[in-house]
Amino acid sequence: MKERILVIAEHHKGHIVPTTYEAITFALELNSLARAKVLVMILGKSVNGMANMLAETTGLDVLGLEGDHLEFYNAEQYKHAIEHAIGNINPLYICMTHTAMGLDLAPGLAVRLNASCITAVEGIKPNGGKLSFVRSMYGGKIQAEIIPELKKSIITLLPGAWKARERYPDKKGSVQIKDVHRGVSISRTFSVKESEEESLNLDDADVIVAAGRGIGTEENLHLVKDLAKIFNKSAIGASKAVCDLGWLGYKYQIGMTGRTVSPRLYIACGISGSSQHISGMKDSQTVVSINLDPNAAIFNVSNYCIVEDVTTFIPVLLEEYKNFVEA
Amino acid sequence: MRILVCVKQVIDGQAPVVIDETGAWVKHGNISPFRMNRYDEFALEEALRIKEKFNDVTIDTISFGPPRVSSTIRKAMEMGANEGIHILTDEDSFVTPFEVASAIASYAKTNTYEIILAGAMSEDDMNSQVGQLIAELLHRPCATLVMHQEIREGGKELYVEREIEAGRRECLYLTLPAVLTIQSGINTPRYPSLSNALRARKAQILTIEAKDLNIPEKRERLTGLSYPEVSSKGTFIEGTQKEKAKKLLGILHEKSLI
Ligand SMILES: Cc1cc2nc3c(=O)[nH]c(=O)nc-3n(C[C@H](O)[C@H](O)[C@H](O)COP(=O)(O)OP(=O)(O)OC[C@H]3O[C@@H](n4cnc5c(N)ncnc54)[C@H](O)[C@@H]3O)c2cc1C
Ligand SMILES: Nc1ncnc2c1ncn2[C@@H]1O[C@H](COP(=O)(O)O)[C@@H](O)[C@H]1O
Repeated sequence: MKERILVIAEHHKGHIVPTTYEAITFALELNSLARAKVLVMILGKSVNGMANMLAETTGLDVLGLEGDHLEFYNAEQYKHAIEHAIGNINPLYICMTHTAMGLDLAPGLAVRLNASCITAVEGIKPNGGKLSFVRSMYGGKIQAEIIPELKKSIITLLPGAWKARERYPDKKGSVQIKDVHRGVSISRTFSVKESEEESLNLDDADVIVAAGRGIGTEENLHLVKDLAKIFNKSAIGASKAVCDLGWLGYKYQIGMTGRTVSPRLYIACGISGSSQHISGMKDSQTVVSINLDPNAAIFNVSNYCIVEDVTTFIPVLLEEYKNFVEA
Repeated sequence: MRILVCVKQVIDGQAPVVIDETGAWVKHGNISPFRMNRYDEFALEEALRIKEKFNDVTIDTISFGPPRVSSTIRKAMEMGANEGIHILTDEDSFVTPFEVASAIASYAKTNTYEIILAGAMSEDDMNSQVGQLIAELLHRPCATLVMHQEIREGGKELYVEREIEAGRRECLYLTLPAVLTIQSGINTPRYPSLSNALRARKAQILTIEAKDLNIPEKRERLTGLSYPEVSSKGTFIEGTQKEKAKKLLGILHEKSLI
């Protein structure tokens, strides 16, 4: 049996999702530690073009699995197809990103393949001849090192934890395309709806002031709006918690299942800094965070950290701004 | 129709989290503020809405953990769950999602639940695994991050929309019995009613010892806990509120942002 490190590629509308390349970087790092060859697997209705492109840009071998029933991602069909396609490959590690697809697929696939499963991994550490995988807990306040106990492991990677490589070996990997049969369909995905909410011009804003649950009440939103007004080309945004509470519409949501933004300045007001929120704003040039909790995870990605109550600090800040303008 | 809702008790997000002396797990003081995992409140609310829409629906709620978690089971009953089941462990220690899922699946196997609901993620361990694992262990279909569900075909099929990246939604059908993990924002969880609160206070919770359930070995082992390094790029601005405000404005001005 050929030992392999398998990467499951993710794609949308005929394009490879960028985080797939982060998973490839991770797999190559594992390869230098575990000495098994990396194989990329891509599933879909017609994947020949994307498979060749992947083999060309990364120099890695690619296995494409095709079938009409794979037009949309579906956990049951993916588990069935992967289980059967693996055949005589012995994947020591199966890597994918911790996206809506990755987190949906990984745990069930692990049970089916009799594998350990570690999700939202951010780091690797050699640990007495084995590898431990680092992941956050308690909203990023604690980091845990976890070792898989079984021979096979399924690992999902936190988006943004590894960088896509700029250079790959200057050769083309092999491409193999296989047809796969439909599994029993106890679940059938038939469409993907685009976001109903028209997007705001969050993309154009130089400055985004974002509200989190820490603002306390819907009435306090005006603080965030007033703060945004002191900047040119500014906009307001929100954490998912604020949208879930109905304080702002979902079109304001920033993060994994919301918008991805990269303004010159991002001010996080009462946002804890969950990985899902961070993945949507981490490329901002300057991040300022205001949070009562000195250990809030948002401070780990901030340039300027202010431990204060937003509801009392923003009024002081606005007052000082007035003095500042007058001076 | 019978529905099982998995509820986890977690420490409130704003409470400090302290690694214990042995470094093996986190320390929970007696005064730690515990509450129901938020995603599970959404899951329970969704179950209650199914119950209001159809006849003959009963909702059981289940939690795996030390004695303290019984208060969260009772909270679920105050919100309107019919029965509470506690899979009791001795102490607070690291448990893997596979152990929790195996315990819940082994209880659920002998009980015919058409729908099992879990949260999208536990706020403390942040695995996003338990629901999917229960589904696979019971050979049932599963949809995660569910933002909309509708029972169709006279109770044979479930139409589901799951929240994926950039506000998009994946639409799928699941054959019942099925497992869903519920994403936050699907509904607005209710407050307990007085009548339910009174009933819950007196209700019996079915307690099962975890060790009687034949839970398999851990598939992942915890070898270390640490506090994250605060990234070196961050500067904490110190002083009174006024001083902090002045310093921040100075910095923003220097960067030509104001
Ligand atoms: C699959 C998935 C996808 C997700 N996608 C997203 C996404 O796209 N975007 C997103 O944002 N989230 C997303 N989430 C949710 C995410 O995990 C968090 O639950 C959410 O980001 C928390 O929002 P918050 O920081 O506003 O609230 P909380 O986590 O409740 O944090 C509130 C913060 O406010 C602070 N605070 C309280 N009072 C004050 C005060 N008076 N002054 C100052 N600070 C105060 C607290 O210390 C705390 O840090 C997703 C979750 C899942 C499972
Ligand atoms: N100890 C537990 N008891 C009951 N349900 C749990 C437990 N742990 C996790 N769950 C359920 O599984 C969901 C996902 O948890 P996790 O996989 O840990 O992120 C939670 O929202 C709960 O619904």
